[in-house]
Amino acid sequence: MTWAIEVNNLNVWYGDKHILKNISFKIPKNIIFAIMGPSGCGKSTLLRAMNRLLELNPHARVEGQVRIDGIDVYNDNVDITWVRRQFGMVFQIPNPFPHLSIYENVALGPKLNGLVKNKSQLDELVKQALEQAYLWDEVKNDLKKPASMLSGGQQQRLCIARALALKPKIVLMDEPTANLDPVASSKIEELMLELKENYTIIIVTHNPQQAARISDYVAFLYMGELIEIGETSMVFTRPRHELTEKYVVGRMG
Amino acid sequence: MNKRKLKEKIMLGTISLLATISAIPIFMIIINIYSEGLRYVSLSFLIDFPPPPIGGKAGGIGPALAGSLILMSLALMIGGCIGFFTGLYLSEFSHTKLAQYTQLFLQIMVEFPTIIIGLFAYSILVVPLKRFNAFAGAFALSVVIIPYIALNVREAYKSIPYSLKEAALSLGISHPKAYLRVLLSAARRGVLTALLIGMAKAAGETAPLLFTILGTSFSYFEGLDKPINAIPLLIYNFALSPYERWHQVAWGASAILLSIILAIFVISRIVVKEVKI
Repeated sequence: MTWAIEVNNLNVWYGDKHILKNISFKIPKNIIFAIMGPSGCGKSTLLRAMNRLLELNPHARVEGQVRIDGIDVYNDNVDITWVRRQFGMVFQIPNPFPHLSIYENVALGPKLNGLVKNKSQLDELVKQALEQAYLWDEVKNDLKKPASMLSGGQQQRLCIARALALKPKIVLMDEPTANLDPVASSKIEELMLELKENYTIIIVTHNPQQAARISDYVAFLYMGELIEIGETSMVFTRPRHELTEKYVVGRMG
Repeated sequence: MNKRKLKEKIMLGTISLLATISAIPIFMIIINIYSEGLRYVSLSFLIDFPPPPIGGKAGGIGPALAGSLILMSLALMIGGCIGFFTGLYLSEFSHTKLAQYTQLFLQIMVEFPTIIIGLFAYSILVVPLKRFNAFAGAFALSVVIIPYIALNVREAYKSIPYSLKEAALSLGISHPKAYLRVLLSAARRGVLTALLIGMAKAAGETAPLLFTILGTSFSYFEGLDKPINAIPLLIYNFALSPYERWHQVAWGASAILLSIILAIFVISRIVVKEVKI
């Protein structure tokens, strides 16, 4: 079986602070994998260690391996921009480029990466990505308008479209619904269930209910350590670790 | 009205009065310069050579105006490029020792008396060439404006939210592409303002030009290695002369210089408004 992602003995430090401790796991393709845990446990750091966005922080240091399709993203011969293109990333606060139009927000990645040959290909790709993000029908007449005119939920779906336009293998989502109202959140969750047909989705959430609702596999992270990982139904009904149990029944948060 | 309210009113009144007083000089300067200078300004004033001290035509400031525009463009090309990339480095590599020291030096340089920069340009570009030259002036102006541009560009890039930087790099593009093709447009207000401040500075400075360009007013641009004139220098030279006609030219030139500075200021306000995110 080829895994979507394999993490081996991953350690991360910020300066002297040991943030992630010996994390190892592997997950299959075309599933939703949720990483849950209380705030400050290292969830977002783990996500950023996968696509090497962590290196934006000059104080971060990483040891260990992250393999996608068998290739270690930390191998010296691997190009960091290639790594980041394998992942589409969606952030906690919807962050479309506010000065660009809706169209440009989606088109920018493919354009700068030379993924398309001409305008009509680009148009097609933008349409496809917006359709996949359930946003096309709402914005098809406003493509030239600035992204900042969209609602929070729409902006987040625009960010999903922006990530999908790169045709990534894996979509990373860092608490994508934390700043949205319940209606907009459930729309994003529906969308994720649809997307896993074509992508592997890794979502970070501080909300165990959300993990239970949408994920196939779940990991519980606590103070930088991977406490438990497994099929979601198992982890939520028969947690093996006391800490996991406390967390999923809501006695820790 | 009770005592507390009265006190408050007096306090507010005093502050408002002081604020108004501090704004008065700018209006007085504008009124003074335009009322003295505008009467000499005409189309031919912008093109003609300066008049002889006595007799002849009314004359103009053609060579000085052209020289100023050339020096401004050159300074903006040299100082703008260096200042922009320095500012970008200061913002994005602020954790490095190099950036920290560079920033400190630039902050000191902002406070440097510009006449010292003029002397420096004189010693390294005028003395060896044995001739006053336009390039020395452009160089001195570049050195003057680099810290302004760099520190303002740094602020512009610093003000981009971290999440937008993450978003740009998550697209799988190189750092230069992210900073120049994606994030530059997010920072364009600040960057344009930085360049316009540099331009205004280059237009108005006199001291860096005193020992560098000589200020020949009787020929148009002849080459970077030849003397050239600029409006501030012409004002300085003509206003100090004993001739009434040259005083008039200096007044007219002052009105033009003031107009250039005000125009840059107005443009920067419009630009800032237009590209507001």
